[in-house]
Order: sequence, then structure tokens, then C-alpha cells
Amino acid sequence: MMKKSHAPQLAGLVLVIFFAAFPFFYGANDYPYIMHVIITGFFYAILTSSWAMLAGYGGQFSFGHMGFMAVGAYTTALISHYFYLAPVPTNICTEFPIGGMYLIILDPIGVTSSTLTQDCLHQALDVWKGSVEVTAMPVWLGIAAGTAMGGVFGLLIGLLVLPLRAAYLALFTLGFSEILRAAISAEISITRGQAGIELPSLFQNGITLFGRHFDKTDKLPPYFIMFILLLVCLGVLTWLAKSKFGLFVRAIREDQDAAAALGVNTIRYKVLVFVITSMIAAAAGATMAHYIGIISPNNLVILQMSLIVAMAVIGGVENFFAAAVGAILLEFVLEMLRNSFEIGPIEVDMTVWRLVVFGVLLMLTLRFSPRGLLVPAIDYFARGHVAKETVAKREQVDAVEASEPEAVK
Amino acid sequence: MEFPDFFWGALGWMIFWGVVGSVVTRRVYLQKDLDTSNTGLVGSMLGASTGPIGLVPLWIKTPEITTRMMVLPTLATIGVFMLVFSISDPGNLCVTNGSFVASQISNGVILGIIYGFMALGLTLIFSILGVVSFAHGEFYMIGGMITYFVTTVWFPGISPVFGVLAACMSTFLLGAIFERLFLTPMYEGKVERPVEYGILITFGLAFTLQYFVQATVGANPVKAKRFFDFPRLRLPSAEDPWLIKTSRGNMELFDTISISNPRFTAAVLCILVFIGLIYFLRRTWTGKALRAVSQDREAAAIAGINPDRMNMLAFALGCMIAALAGSMLVQAFSWLPQVGAIPAMRSFVIIVLGGLGSIPGAFLGGITVGLVEAAGTGCIPDAQKAASYIPAYGMIVLTLTLLLRPTGLFGRKFASGTHGKV
Repeated sequence: MMKKSHAPQLAGLVLVIFFAAFPFFYGANDYPYIMHVIITGFFYAILTSSWAMLAGYGGQFSFGHMGFMAVGAYTTALISHYFYLAPVPTNICTEFPIGGMYLIILDPIGVTSSTLTQDCLHQALDVWKGSVEVTAMPVWLGIAAGTAMGGVFGLLIGLLVLPLRAAYLALFTLGFSEILRAAISAEISITRGQAGIELPSLFQNGITLFGRHFDKTDKLPPYFIMFILLLVCLGVLTWLAKSKFGLFVRAIREDQDAAAALGVNTIRYKVLVFVITSMIAAAAGATMAHYIGIISPNNLVILQMSLIVAMAVIGGVENFFAAAVGAILLEFVLEMLRNSFEIGPIEVDMTVWRLVVFGVLLMLTLRFSPRGLLVPAIDYFARGHVAKETVAKREQVDAVEASEPEAVK
Repeated sequence: MEFPDFFWGALGWMIFWGVVGSVVTRRVYLQKDLDTSNTGLVGSMLGASTGPIGLVPLWIKTPEITTRMMVLPTLATIGVFMLVFSISDPGNLCVTNGSFVASQISNGVILGIIYGFMALGLTLIFSILGVVSFAHGEFYMIGGMITYFVTTVWFPGISPVFGVLAACMSTFLLGAIFERLFLTPMYEGKVERPVEYGILITFGLAFTLQYFVQATVGANPVKAKRFFDFPRLRLPSAEDPWLIKTSRGNMELFDTISISNPRFTAAVLCILVFIGLIYFLRRTWTGKALRAVSQDREAAAIAGINPDRMNMLAFALGCMIAALAGSMLVQAFSWLPQVGAIPAMRSFVIIVLGGLGSIPGAFLGGITVGLVEAAGTGCIPDAQKAASYIPAYGMIVLTLTLLLRPTGLFGRKFASGTHGKV
């Protein structure tokens, strides 16, 4: 047995401590901006690591991940927008009695600002003249419902794409995402179309933690919520990867027929990995939507999916820790590249050029370091204390193993 | 819609019997130890069109499935659907106005020809490299952009032929260079999973190209002016031109069908190039070599064809075809860097519908998708919604194809295991 270095694990721990402590010792003027960038980085890290699970571990190159994200976000947006609780019935809305209260469902109305306040609840409120208190749905319920809805969609799409492999699956899921975008843009009366739908923030009335009150615009609570969500997501993914589940999923990736012949229930595990990763994406989407405060179909454009793919590939598509760290790093790089500059008379608009740089980086990584940029580095540190001869010997064994399938052919 | 309850009820009935038909028919055929490869299609279509009346005899007799048994129920299902639609929405333009229907159909066919032509490039790439190029839509977009810049910005007044040629040549070169630089490791066995590598690397190319164009050109829509004007025609006579009447930008047939000039030019050119391509693939040595490689790489290599060079040629040719479609359509639609996404999806739908690797399939699939889109945009009552849902129509076709007949119209058993490896 070889003695393995624990440098990568240590580095991971240091990173976690760093991010947990960061908001408390960072005090520069651009504090809200940096915090926002890190929160966005966490968001992308969740999506990227779950996509790495689906694509790298499961071998299902789905391009619909942003679609599931949007399912979660729109579910919670619609719930917070259309569902209210009131102690007395309005008699004009659709409503159901629930344990002494009435669940009120607003009627969908058009998009113009003049009609925004003319739904049935507003009419009822005008009649009541403040005598009745109406409660909105709690945010956590919306996020939970969004996550569940992501799972439902993941199940449906996962079942539909079961017989599909590689390119079929990629295009079908891309199509799913496009249809979702078309539907959201077209059903203006419900989703308000391109204008986007507004959401209450995570803590609408602020929150008091450890004797300190945080305003609803404060960055610290969403920072830690996103951070904990990321840690939970990574924890779940690691647990899955280390368990029987991960073994089966990888076996299916390598050879579905062989896995089935060895007794792996391929249908169950292929669908399950789809459902789980979709739920993670939906949870991230729902939380992020509440943090940003607005969700629009523009979050579904292919650019967003491309960013996830690029982050996963550059970090390392088969290792979701690397993918997550890569996502946070790249989010920072993308933000730093935002500054436009001028070379003589030519103005270089970096907001677009940075994406070109990103694309080229993606292609070069795939071509010359297909395991990503971080994974080889992690491997290097992981065998840091191993003698050269041992490495050479292991490489020899690897080479023999690699040549064996050729010999079989 | 006047009777939405009837419409959705009838649709639900058709879907229910379609599902029952496809599931039960397969079971019945399996039990009698018969060939089940097309039972899903026959069962579902027969179920959807006739309900239990047609299914029960099928289950009792279990005849051998012929082409006619697949085509007739499919047509019947389309007919029943159209009947249901016309009963439930009698006031719709699609039901009452014959000339509107004729215009929609001719428009659908014309656009379908162009779509099919573009899909041909994708099917060429797939059949030889085993890769679906995700950058197909970006080559389409670049083709249009180059044509626009050559004919309108850099050399205004130049013959559009040069614009089209410039677009073709530059995309051919770009495709060839990209193939040499990034796709070669796939055939040399240097990457673990070549199919996924192909997907990701072309996806990366698409991303890079799209934002490169946006960075250099900007995000404002552009449009080239039309390549040439129709000659003034009044047939059979100037007083009563019921047969054909043309103005510079438009053509009217039989007083009802109106075809706009850019689309007509594009379709005619596509057909010409299509014929030229068929000639190239069937009659020249290189074309035959390409087809040989698509059928059996190893045998072709033994016969003295260099499959690697054919890979490069096929990829470059496929990209060029997409660019040609784009350079034809830049005179018909306004052009943006993002314009390629929907045609790329559509091309994929078409080649799956037509059968991967099939050239007539691509053509027929293109016309089918063109007609479905024309029907969707023309007949759905809310016009604004109908236009927004354009990407969905193709996806419905794709889903149905994958569920009912995964090999497509002219599908052949495809050697998908090789993926460009010799």
C-alpha cells in the first residue's frame, strides 16, 4: 500500500474555514460587491458540482441543468406571487379552507404595471380596508416546493431520456431547456414573460442572529445560506459517490450492458442520478432567485448552461470538489475580466471578450488536459510524498492495464 | 378556440389509445414471438386514429408489419387530428381560408427545403465522424454574417455570388482547421470517451464563435438586402394574371399563394446545391470515398482511402453547408450572433426524423418539420404565443420520433460504436 498525502483534504478544509471566516475579517469598501460575487460563485459551484455528478460520474451529458434550476426558481416565484393565506374568504378568488384559514390563489393577470394591482386579492383588500391581515407563503416552503418540483421534472425527463445516449441525450435536454424558456416567455399572463417575476427576499423582515440584526439587503445571511447549501450539496454528492450508488452509476457510465448483466438496476440508477442532481439544481435556483429578488427567462439562455459546462470542464468534470472550486475561481476571474480597456483607438468591450477567452480556455483544457486543470494538481499533491520509482512503477502498471483492452481487440 | 373541452378531450382520447396501443401491441407481438421493432409505431398510430376498433383486430391477427401498415395509420392519425381541430375551432383561419392554408403550406415547404439542406451538413458530419456538431448553428450564423459584410458593408454593390463564395470558403477552412486541431485525438484513441469529448469540444467551439462574433460585430440585428429582383411577369395576360404575378420582392401564384423573393431564391439555390452535392457523393471518387467511410471505416481504409482525410473533408463540408444555408437566409431574416441556436436544434430534429446518415431522409425530414412549424405558427389561435413556441414544435416531432420510431424515416442500423475510430 502506498502512503497517500492528505494535502488536498487539508486544502479543502482550509478553503472551507477561509470562506466561513471571510465575511468577518474582510472590511474593504467593496464588501457588498465581493460578497455578491462569492454568493454567485457558490451558486455556480452548486450547479457545477451537481452537473459534474450527472455528466462526469453518470456519463449523462445533459444540457438541461439550467432548466431544472429555472423550474425550482419559478416554482417558488409563482408560489410567493399567487398563494396567500387569509382568515376570511374573499369570495372573488379561487380559495380553499385550510385549518381555519383560507388559501387564496390569485387570478393570473396581464403584464402592464397598471393592471398589476388589480388582481382579485387587491380588490378584496380594498373592500376590507385594512381590517384583514393577509399572510404570504413562507419563503422556505417555496424553496422546498421548488426542490420537489425539480425532482418531479427530473423524474419525467430522466424517464424520457432513458433510452438515449450521448448526443441524443444532450440535444434532447437542450431542447427541454429551450421549450421551458419559450413557455416562460410566452405565458405572459402567468409568468410576466421577459419582464421576469419578482420574489420576496430570503428574509423579508430581516433576521436577528446572535444578538445582531440583519436587514433584508444584508449580504451575510444569504452568504451563509448559500454556503451551507453548497456544503450540504457536496456532502450529499460525496456520500453518494462513495456508496454503492456511486459505484453503480460509474459502472453504468462505462458500460451499461455490462452493468446490467452484473445485476445493476440500470433504469433505477440512471433515473435516480437525474432526479437527485435536478433537485440540487432546483434548490440552488430557488434560493438564488429569492436572494436576487427577480427571475426571468434570460437565466435560461444557453450562455448560462455553457458557463456551467465550462466551469465543470476547467475544474475537472469527474471530481465535483474540483468542479466546485473551479466554479468559484472562474466566477472571480469572470468578474475581474469585466473591466473594458482601450488599445489606442480601439475600445475592447471585455464584457463580451471575456466569454471568448472563456470559450478558448474551455477548448484548450479539453484538448490538452481533459481531466481539467485542478484535478491533475490535486493528484500531484495527493502523491506528493511518493518516491519517483514508485510513481514510475505505477505508471508502468497503468500502461500495461491500458494496453490490455487493445490486446483483447 | 370555440370548443376547447372537445379538443382536449379528443386529444386525451387519442393519446390514451395511442399509449395503450403501443404498449399492448408490443406485449402481444412479444408473446407470439414475432418481430417487435415497429410495433410501437403501428400500435400507437392505429390506436390514436381508430381507438379500440382498429387495435383489437391487430392484436387478434398480429400480421407481419409492412411499410403500408406504418404509413396509413400515421396519415389517418394526422387526418383525425386535423378533423378534431377543425370541429373544435371552426372559425380558425386554418379551417375557413383555403388560400391562407395554401400559403402556409408553400411557405412550410420552402422553409423546409432550406432546413433540410442545413440538416444535410449535420448528417454528413455525423455519418462520418460519429459526432453531432453542436457548433452547426454557429456556422450557419457565421455564413450569414460573412455574406452580409461582404455584400453590404465592405463591398456594397458587389454581386452576392462573391459574398456566398466568401462565406463558403472561410467556413470550409475554419471547419478543416478546427477538425485538425481539436477533433483528431478522438480517432487516435487519446481521449477516454470520444463521443462526450466530441459533444463538449463542439459545444465549446459554438460558445467561442458566438461570443467572438458578438464581440467583433456587436449585438445589433443586421440584414442583407435581397440578392436579386424577380423579373416582372404577368401570366397568362397582363389584365388577368391568375397564373403568376411577380413584383420585385414577391411572387403570387394562382392569386392565392404568395412567396417572398429571398425565400424563393434560397430554396432554389439550396435545391441546386443539393443536386450538385448528390452528384458529388454518387459520381466522384472523393464522394464515393466519403460514403464508403460512412459505411465501413476499416473496409474503406483497406481499399486505400485515408479515413482521417475524409474526416476532415466531411467536417469542413458539413460546416460549409450550414454556412451556405445561413448566407442564403441572411437576406430573408434579420441576423444576430444568437441566431444559430434554433436552426441547430431543428437540424438535429430533422436528421433524427429522417434517420441518421440518410440524405433523402434529411430532405423529407426538413419538409416535414417545415410543415409542422408552418401549421403551428399559422393555426394556434394566439399568434404571439404561436411564434414564441417555435422551438417547441420541432421538439414534439423529436419526442414522438424517439418514442415511436427511433431509427427515423429512412433509418439504417448505424455503427455508432466506432465514433470515428479506425
